[in-house]
Amino acid sequence: MSGALAWLLVALGLGVVVVRRRSLAVALVTAQALILAVRAHAEAGAAAALAVRALVLGVLLLLVVSRTREPRPVRSGVAPLLRGGLAVTLALALTWLVPTLGLVSRNAERGVLALVSFGLVAVATRAATLFQVLGIVLVENGLALAALQLHTGSSAAIELGVACDLTLIATVAVVFHERIFAEFGAGDVAALRSLRD
Amino acid sequence: MTSRELLAVAVALLPAVTAAVAAAAPRRAIGPVAIAGAAVSAAAAVTLAAVTLAAPGTTFETAWLIVDPAAGILVGVIGVVGAASVLVSPSYLRTVDEGLVRHAALPRLYYGLLFAFWAVLAGVPVIGNLGGAWLLVEATTAASALLVGFSGKGRALEAGWKYLILTSLGLGVALLGIVLLAATAGGGLDALSWHQLALIPAGGRTVLVAYLLLLAGLAAKIGWAPVHNWLPDAHSEAPAPVSALLSAALLPAVLLVAWRSSRSLAPVIGAQTARSVLVGFGLVSLAFAVPFLWRPLPWKRLLAYSSLEHMGVVALGVGFGGPVAFAGVAVHIAGHALAKALGFYAAVPLLAHEPHAGGHPAGGVARTQPALAATMGVSLGALAGLPPSPLFLSEVLIVAGGFAAGRPWAAAVAAVLLSLGFLGLAHALLDVLAGRARHASHRGDAVGMRPVAVLTVLTAAILLVLTAAAFFLPGSELAHALAREAP
Repeated sequence: MSGALAWLLVALGLGVVVVRRRSLAVALVTAQALILAVRAHAEAGAAAALAVRALVLGVLLLLVVSRTREPRPVRSGVAPLLRGGLAVTLALALTWLVPTLGLVSRNAERGVLALVSFGLVAVATRAATLFQVLGIVLVENGLALAALQLHTGSSAAIELGVACDLTLIATVAVVFHERIFAEFGAGDVAALRSLRD
Repeated sequence: MTSRELLAVAVALLPAVTAAVAAAAPRRAIGPVAIAGAAVSAAAAVTLAAVTLAAPGTTFETAWLIVDPAAGILVGVIGVVGAASVLVSPSYLRTVDEGLVRHAALPRLYYGLLFAFWAVLAGVPVIGNLGGAWLLVEATTAASALLVGFSGKGRALEAGWKYLILTSLGLGVALLGIVLLAATAGGGLDALSWHQLALIPAGGRTVLVAYLLLLAGLAAKIGWAPVHNWLPDAHSEAPAPVSALLSAALLPAVLLVAWRSSRSLAPVIGAQTARSVLVGFGLVSLAFAVPFLWRPLPWKRLLAYSSLEHMGVVALGVGFGGPVAFAGVAVHIAGHALAKALGFYAAVPLLAHEPHAGGHPAGGVARTQPALAATMGVSLGALAGLPPSPLFLSEVLIVAGGFAAGRPWAAAVAAVLLSLGFLGLAHALLDVLAGRARHASHRGDAVGMRPVAVLTVLTAAILLVLTAAAFFLPGSELAHALAREAP
């Protein structure tokens, strides 16, 4: 995998961590998955699974955005610049700590670790429920990249499994998001703080 | 296909078929369909458990299927708890006035999801491949998250959301570990079968990192501390029959995936290293759980923290290894499942009788509801490890196994923490039964007590049988089969 492609995927991922608009973030993860699908063109099964998953999730999440219009974007407790800084720091730390992953390209390995880090930071720091779902999609996009870069050629099965799983989880998350929006008037996890010991 | 293969497929297929039939059946037929489906599914599960436990030395294993004693124990537990949860469900549904969908459609959604959850859960112990196990574990999240949020109330939505996001994220981390293993093993998905994983060439840090990622990710789903945050919320807000399945069946089923991973990868990363991680999770989970067992907590929340403690105990047993500890593990998984499920079932009449108990500690139940108090007493007494509870013996066996395995410090710390946990739960037991009632409560039969009373008698009897069995297990063929290392 070329360095430019890996950087492009990482940049799109970082965008999800820092942007404010939900629709833009959905577009970023969809673009990421479609790029991975194009990159997987040599393996028709993997490419098809990635492309279908990208489009289905993209349409589903954009539909949800349009059905649950927020009067103003849900504010995260952490400023965008700090979120970005945390994400990059975690990615660098993981790249330093984790030994070689055994993938075809070192660029891809760094890309995988960066996307997983960005997903973790997005879930931990974003208050909007939809952004937390996008954090999980980011992690899974990183894993999809890893599967494409295996020496063993088992990526089609992994991509198909991840695609089915992610679509299922995202569908359930959408059900919860809509109910939370209906109950609390916003898709904001700050409203979900009644259960504590 | 052999009879074992057929049974292994049937234990997952029968609940799946019941889910489909319940989803399509006329409204009046949903309840009877659920009862019939539960009876058939449980019968298949118990038969498979009996077949595997009758010949524990025989393991059937392919790239995608494994039928061994560990699978037998878990499949049996899932079948029994699944059937009992379906029996208690009508009482629960009578208390529900709102939910995720309109009222008339609630039973169809509930049973459809419950059996879908049961189906994927039953597949976890018999799947012979780490990749397949991951897919099934993740699928349990989708079905069970909707069940956690089933009431549609704010607290249930919060609990369901936390459960969905935290466990999905954890399983994402676990999948990274699996991808690393696939990269190292080579040879496609078949290389992720439990048998083939043991054949990965030893050496190199990648497999160790993969193992750590895998266990850290699975820990989020098992509810091991410190990544257990979803557990008390989900268990306390889910419908009581679902909480029973979550705690008694889901947690140990996912723990079995960690156990199989540890056993398969032990020859690659070293048995001591593989086991030490489990012992670490076990001790940390115990240490996190014990302070909460000393606090006055709402009934279901108390049971949830007890799950954290007991999953820690099982982790310790698997981590210590050896026939003595594994005899303890077998008894502990079965005893915990029965006692914990009964505790959650007791929540149905408890909450119907005393709605405040959903958010406040229950107290003085014996004065107003003697039958319900007996159920809660059997459950909490057994979970505390009060003799003659089988959990007392299983904990003794696990601690003894720790000393036998050459881990005296870990075993000693575990013994101290278990003693503190016992005292906390014993105090809670006295408070629940004979303490001061925190809210005005009336006498009279609680709604849904009849099926719970029947289950109490059955559970108490089976717990006593388990206690007797615990005396004979350490030297048995079953204990040796469970403790067997990867080839």
